[in-house]
Amino acid sequence: MQTSQAETPAPADKKSKAKRPIIDCDIHQISGMEEIKPYLPRHYRELVEAYGPAYPGGMHFNGGVGGRMADAYPEDGGRAGSDLALMQRQHLDRYNVAYGILTGEGYGIQATINYDYAAATCSAINDYTIEHWLSRDSRLRGSVMIPKQEPRLAAKEIDRVGGRADMVQVIVCNGATLPYGNRYYDPIYEACVRHNLPFTIHVGLEGEGINSPPTGAGYVTNYIETRCARPSTMAAHLASFIFEGTFERFPTLRVVLQEAGVLWLAPLLWKMDQEWKGLRVQTPWVRKRPSEYFREHVRVTTQPIDEPPSRALFDALLDSVHADETLMYCSDYPHWDYDSPKQALPKLADALADRVYYDTAAELYGLPPREKEAEG
Amino acid sequence: MSATGQQRSDPRTASVEPRRPAGSSDKRFRAARVSEIPPGARKIVEVEGRSIGVYNIQGAFHALRNVCPHQGAELCKGLVTAAVVSSGPDDFRFEREGEIVRCPWHQWEFDIKTGCMVVDGKVRTKSYEVTVEKFGVSVEEDYVMIHL
Repeated sequence: MQTSQAETPAPADKKSKAKRPIIDCDIHQISGMEEIKPYLPRHYRELVEAYGPAYPGGMHFNGGVGGRMADAYPEDGGRAGSDLALMQRQHLDRYNVAYGILTGEGYGIQATINYDYAAATCSAINDYTIEHWLSRDSRLRGSVMIPKQEPRLAAKEIDRVGGRADMVQVIVCNGATLPYGNRYYDPIYEACVRHNLPFTIHVGLEGEGINSPPTGAGYVTNYIETRCARPSTMAAHLASFIFEGTFERFPTLRVVLQEAGVLWLAPLLWKMDQEWKGLRVQTPWVRKRPSEYFREHVRVTTQPIDEPPSRALFDALLDSVHADETLMYCSDYPHWDYDSPKQALPKLADALADRVYYDTAAELYGLPPREKEAEG
Repeated sequence: MSATGQQRSDPRTASVEPRRPAGSSDKRFRAARVSEIPPGARKIVEVEGRSIGVYNIQGAFHALRNVCPHQGAELCKGLVTAAVVSSGPDDFRFEREGEIVRCPWHQWEFDIKTGCMVVDGKVRTKSYEVTVEKFGVSVEEDYVMIHL
C-alpha cells in the first residue's frame, strides 16, 4: 500500500493539497414535499394538501438536529439544505468542491405500494432539482430518483430525464423488497445502461413501508441499531448483483454503494471469493472471482468513514477493498454525520488521494479531469 | 481549568492534565466583561487568532478551543445540555445540567469543565484525539481573562 509515505508530507505539499479540487459524491439538497408539491399533478397535490405526503418512514429517531448538522440551518430560519448560498459558503466554496453530486431527500416515496403516486413524486423531485439546483450552480449534478418498486415506471422516468447531461446517476434507497441483483429490476438496469448512468444505492428506508425488515433477525428498536444493520442489507445487494449474474447480463452497469461504511466490505470480499471456489458450480454464469466483479463494476463512497483503532488497520483494510479503484469521497452535507473533506479521512498518499477525492468519481460520472493544481 | 474570582472551583479538573497547562506561559487576554456572560451563557471570542468559547457554569468560567478534535467543527456553537445517564432500558436521567456541550456535526459530547469526551476521559485514543484544548481562565476586576 502506498499510504505509508503519507506520514510526513512536505509543508508545501500540504498547502497545495488544501486547494486540491474535489468531487463530493453525496450532497443532500432539500427535496421534501414542501418543495416539490408545485411539481405534482393536481390530484396528488390536492391529496397531499388534505392528508399530508403519506411517505413511509420515520419509525426511528434520527441524529443531530432534525437529522442535520446543527450549523447547517440558514439564519433566516429556513431548513437545512434549502439554501444554495449557505451550501456554497459552508461547503462548496470552502473546500474547493469542483463537482457535487446531489442525492436529494424524500426516499420514503420509494417504499410505498402506491406505484403511480411514487412515479409522480419522483418526477416532481427530479423536475424541482433540475430547476432549483442544477440550473443555479454549474458545479452541481443530479441523481434520477425513480419509483424503483415498479421497474417499468422507473425505466420510464430514467428515459424521461436520464439523457440530460446534468443528471449523472440513478438513485435508490438501501431498503428493498428484493435484493437488487434480482432480475425483477432488469428494466431499470436496461435503462441505466441505455443512458450510461450508474445505479447508486443510498442507505435508508430499511424495514420501512413495503421494504423487507432491516435485519435477518427482524425489526430493531433504536436508530443506532438500524445504522449498524445497514451494511448487512448492502452486503445482500452486492452478493445478489454478483451471483444473480447481473453484471454478466449488463456488462457496462456500474453500481455505487453509499453511506453504509467502507471497511466491512473487506471480509465480505474475502468470503465471497472463498465460497465461490466450492460453490461456483451452482452459479457457473459467475465467470470471475467475485472480487473481480466488485473491482470492475462497483464503487463505494467514503462517508461515514470507519474509524478503526489503528492507522495500520485502516490502511490494510483500504487496500483490501481496492480503494485506489473503488473509493470515492463524499460528505453527506448537510446531514448530521457529515464528513469534512479535510479531516474525516487520515492523510492519504498523493496517488491514492487523487483517486479518492477526484479521479475515480470523474471517470464514473464522466466529469472533466482535474485541473492542474495551482503552484505552491 | 476554571476560575471563580481567582479560585479554582472544581476539584475534578485537577486530575485532568490539559494539553496546554494553564498558567504555563500565562499571557493573559481580556475575553469579555463578566457581565456579558451570566451563568448558563457562553460567548465565543477571538484571542490571538484562536476562536475560544467562554462558558459560565454556575458562576465559574471555563474556556474551550472552538474546534472539535474529531473533524474540526465549531464545537462551541453546539448545544449546551446535561449528561444523560441510565440504570437500564427506559431510564433516562439528566445529570451535570449545563456542563456538557454537543458538537454541531456529529453530536460528540464533551465535558466543558475538563474538555474530555463524556464516553472517553482519556487524553488520546490510538487513532484520534478526544480532548478539546482548554485554557486557563481568571477574573480580574470585571473582566474574564484567558491565559494562553
